[in-house]
Amino acid sequence: MTRATPVGRLAAILFGVALISLVSACGSSAPSPENTLSVLAGSELKDLEPMLPDIQAATGVKLVPTYIGTLEGADSIAGGADADVAWFANAKYLSLLPAAASRIVASNQIMLSPVVIGVKQSVAQSFGWAGNPNVSWKDIESHAADGSFHFAMTNPAASNSGLTALIGVASALSGSSDAIDAGTIDSDAMKGFFKGQTVTAGSSGFLADTYVREQGTVDGIINYESVLMGLNAGGQLKEQLDIIYPAEGIVTADYPMILLNAAKKTAYDKVVAYLRSPDVQKRIMTDTARRPAVPGVPLDSRFPTTTLIELPYPSQLDTIDALISTYLDEFRKPASAIFVLDLSGSMAGDRLSSLQTALNALTGTDTSLTGQFTHFHANETVTIITFSSTVLDQRDFTIDDTQPDSPDMQAIRDYVDGLEAGGATAIYDALEQAYTTVQTDEATNPDRLYSIVLMTDGENNSGSDADAFTAAYDALPDAARNVHTFPIFFGDSSLADMQAIADLTGGQLFDAKSASLLAIFKQIRGYQ
Amino acid sequence: MNNPSRRLAALGLAAILIVGVGFAIFQSVSQHLGPTAVTLRGLIGSEKQPFFSDPQVVAALHRGGFDVIVATAGSRQIATADLSNEDFAFPAGGPSAAEIALNHSGTTSIVPFYTPMAIATFQPIVDLLTQAGVVTQQPGYLGFDMTKYMALVASDKRWIDLPGNTTYPVNKSILITSTDVRKSNSAAMYLAIASYVVNGDNIVQNNGDIDSIVQQTAPLFLKQGFVESSTEEPFDDYLVQGMGKSPLVMIYEAQYVAAAASTTGGITSQMRLMYPEPTIFSKHTFVGLTPDGTRLGNFIATDPEMRTLATQYGFRTSDTAAFSTFVTNHGLTIPDSLNDVIDPPSYEALEAMITQFEGLYAGSLPTLSPSETP
Repeated sequence: MTRATPVGRLAAILFGVALISLVSACGSSAPSPENTLSVLAGSELKDLEPMLPDIQAATGVKLVPTYIGTLEGADSIAGGADADVAWFANAKYLSLLPAAASRIVASNQIMLSPVVIGVKQSVAQSFGWAGNPNVSWKDIESHAADGSFHFAMTNPAASNSGLTALIGVASALSGSSDAIDAGTIDSDAMKGFFKGQTVTAGSSGFLADTYVREQGTVDGIINYESVLMGLNAGGQLKEQLDIIYPAEGIVTADYPMILLNAAKKTAYDKVVAYLRSPDVQKRIMTDTARRPAVPGVPLDSRFPTTTLIELPYPSQLDTIDALISTYLDEFRKPASAIFVLDLSGSMAGDRLSSLQTALNALTGTDTSLTGQFTHFHANETVTIITFSSTVLDQRDFTIDDTQPDSPDMQAIRDYVDGLEAGGATAIYDALEQAYTTVQTDEATNPDRLYSIVLMTDGENNSGSDADAFTAAYDALPDAARNVHTFPIFFGDSSLADMQAIADLTGGQLFDAKSASLLAIFKQIRGYQ
Repeated sequence: MNNPSRRLAALGLAAILIVGVGFAIFQSVSQHLGPTAVTLRGLIGSEKQPFFSDPQVVAALHRGGFDVIVATAGSRQIATADLSNEDFAFPAGGPSAAEIALNHSGTTSIVPFYTPMAIATFQPIVDLLTQAGVVTQQPGYLGFDMTKYMALVASDKRWIDLPGNTTYPVNKSILITSTDVRKSNSAAMYLAIASYVVNGDNIVQNNGDIDSIVQQTAPLFLKQGFVESSTEEPFDDYLVQGMGKSPLVMIYEAQYVAAAASTTGGITSQMRLMYPEPTIFSKHTFVGLTPDGTRLGNFIATDPEMRTLATQYGFRTSDTAAFSTFVTNHGLTIPDSLNDVIDPPSYEALEAMITQFEGLYAGSLPTLSPSETP
């Protein structure tokens, strides 16, 4: 190497500085629009967020996710949602929806996780299921039907793991293990199976959290293999779960990344190539317990080496929709939905009318894809508790006829339309009354799925306070304490107070400041 | 096979898109090689996009004097697409190519490469089906008797029903996994084979027999439930998820050969390739729409380097010795020739059958429940 002259050295230093500032400028500035992909993603994919910076570093492409439920996402894509990429646990429902299917430019599966059932070790042993490769969905059904087995599963209308399980169980219990159609579903067996479902949820992650909280009273949980492995490794279980792969077969989520915007194909190709490279596949397996989707990456020792029988998926959208509706109306335990509604003076005007719109939409007047599953279901009871300075009223409705124009639905609309605002805000008095109601109702009707929705637009300024409510809640029997409250953050309500109520009761906060009350009510229906 | 873009398919009926990657590669390569080539546009079957995006292929085409911009579409779409701005069309199937040639005067059709329809499976399945008389050892390959297979499907047989089955005691129906017959050429070729069998070993004509033929072949497709749109997907599932998902998969022989030749292709010691009897050749037919387009077709078909590259993708070319050497070098036993090969039906007859399937899937025609299967 020749010695640089002083001028040459200076030039080299200046060049170096320029290079460094150029590099740092590239690192800190946002990627160009063609290297930014907006991603409509299933909430199951939140656990991949730690990888996003690495994806960007390796490919130059920034993924900007917005999380959404499976059917809500499919509905939104069919409705023309402005996203470059869709990424859900499963895209079969999406690709059966003509308006969504026509937007699919390319599709590549990224990873795999079968939907299976985790059973507490002691329960598995007592049933002879431990280490037994022949345990079937039929076996699980017989213990669920005789009341000796209770499990948690998500709502198939809100979450892919629930929908996948419902389809697999319907196929297995039909006796044929073929793709189901309306005529092959064994209703009695389905009712028997879902007699055992005592916990529901609107997302797979929330279901896992709820299982941890209620593990004393539930025997098992249907979820992705990856989530069950995560529970076993998470240190929060009193008892490990035996992961059972029922003999008739299972349905596997394949997490396809779908290109919707053809103009972003170059960026999409880069991300897919990166995610499907062997090293990244291995990392996904190690970090998230999902199986590789490409050949040549062997499963690590956590995974069983047995052959997993895959059950077929229906080819008809109508079949799936009918199955979901029948599940909600007939197969699962009926719901008791309690709505605790603020009618304080500040609700007058737009706030009250948007609340009325949201509640009325649940009486079957919303004919959208998501609307058809979020309306009140057959045999459901709906309790509305209104409050302002004190509890104002409590009214019970029972749904026998789910037609939008039925007297049952009309009665709810009439009541809701007659609501008027005025007075102060006694949140905790109203909530305490809701739990008292639950306690009474559970004594006479234990086989129902209870939930409480709290909608308030302000802070508590009347009646008992948070501490008094907490004391009353803590004094309740287990069954009533296991009923979650889903508070809605709305208007001038206190985020901290709402979050505290969700945390105390094992519920989940819903933010109606960034979405309409209508959308929030429909989301909450997934948890009821 | 590992190139992820290989899996990209124009799904749905609408998507016909310019392949940006291929364009970018040809741009960067052609800048290095100089500007002596003529630029041609073509509409190709989506399964050949990885081939045309391969930098080696781009360079070889450029050396021959061609820079090629391709858009992709399903073979069925190509047949009816507007080709007025294209120099060539290159569908996967002969019937589509014949329809294009019929509708465009002065075209030249060339078959640069072809691949037989084959069935990917596993040794335990081979053993079970051999015992059941469906699979027989032919000189140099395993033959899969379509007539006997279709009798099993018609009688609603499940894997567990096979006598002496302890290796795959599964309650699912015995079915070959295919793609969507409404969208994918490989499924259309499967239908061509099945319809030949139910038509008394005759190629289906576009006449009144089609209703009955579709009804008899419908269970092969409808009983599968949900099916994927592109042939890459079920084959990838075969490689990754194995026998539990798809014990039998209808594929192009080329897919299996290319996977076996790849170091990370995923072919394991239990995997086997069989040939339906009868089988059919998927003839990748190049239709030159302009004189330059026809020159390109001849170049792809006759240039030794182009043929070598096609062989690496598992295709058979006119250079049969090169294919034999290639598969032998990768430890594969692949027959030079097959005994029982039929021609596909005409474009019109195939379309008439597929149109009826569209009706079956849309529910406007009654579907058969398993107990009613003929």
